[in-house]
Amino acid sequence: MIGLENYHNNKWQAIFFIVGISALLLIAYLKAPLHHHEHDVEDILVAIWVPIGAAVCYSLHIYLHLEIVIAAGITGTLASFLPNLNKKSDYLSKLPVAIYCGTFVGMSSINIAKNIGFIIAAGIFTGVLLLLSKNLFLGVGGKLGTLAFVGVTIASFLYYIFHI
Amino acid sequence: MLLNFTIVIVSMISAISTFYLSEHRKQGAVRASALLSLIVGIIFYLLKDKISIEYYSQIPVAFIGASFVGMVSSRALKHFRLVGFAGFIFGIIYINSSHFFKGYGGALGTSASISIMVTMCVPIYLSKRKRLNGLILIRKWIFRDNRRRKKKND
Repeated sequence: MIGLENYHNNKWQAIFFIVGISALLLIAYLKAPLHHHEHDVEDILVAIWVPIGAAVCYSLHIYLHLEIVIAAGITGTLASFLPNLNKKSDYLSKLPVAIYCGTFVGMSSINIAKNIGFIIAAGIFTGVLLLLSKNLFLGVGGKLGTLAFVGVTIASFLYYIFHI
Repeated sequence: MLLNFTIVIVSMISAISTFYLSEHRKQGAVRASALLSLIVGIIFYLLKDKISIEYYSQIPVAFIGASFVGMVSSRALKHFRLVGFAGFIFGIIYINSSHFFKGYGGALGTSASISIMVTMCVPIYLSKRKRLNGLILIRKWIFRDNRRRKKKND
């Protein structure tokens, strides 16, 4: 999208940008140690917390009129202290990741996410993707955000099709 | 221009500080990112009247986005300078981000993962052993063709 927007003004810069980034991404995908075979988040009960995290962040932003960064920070910080309730629990240790992934979904602005139903739907799609992507992008920060972005895009597309 | 420069610097600081808190202080990626973003968000909220609207609206968002870069595991990026470079790349992507994606949840995270993947191939490219190996293979390929031509002529 950046390349297309700049295409009319700086054609060669846009082409160089697209080719350069694509080449580097391809090299990283083929050569970098991204994949692993351990299961990270596989429980549906963990993925359910994604729409919950999204709804909490969105509600803090819209209904309590907090800034989006503060709302996301509060949600993520509270989520990060959940494992302290029972340090031996494997289930609780997986929750912060799922809730923070939902926080990214909840950071959508009101122009895109018109009501909380959209956020919950996008959160459900993102939760499903989180289950499916358990062995991909290990250790890459932004994996959660990428999944959130895809979830919001799918929800936005479906809302557009069904004119909700 | 000053705003763009500030965004890039803030991105680098955010990525490095989140990585430090997550990996070296063993606080975990989520707590490191969320706590630092919350602190920065509160500071900017308290200084709302004293900062221009441009800085107030952009800097905390750039900070939280770059903190996603800092959430990377040390298995993917080992050194602080690589994380700082990834934060720099994130800052560049953020400044040039398309208005089409404005308001999309996760757009920041996607930019963060792109900047990390771009940074991950830097050690591969700079590795002397692999570069030298590549040069040796090219040299062998060239001289193999020359030997074949000499044999045919003989």
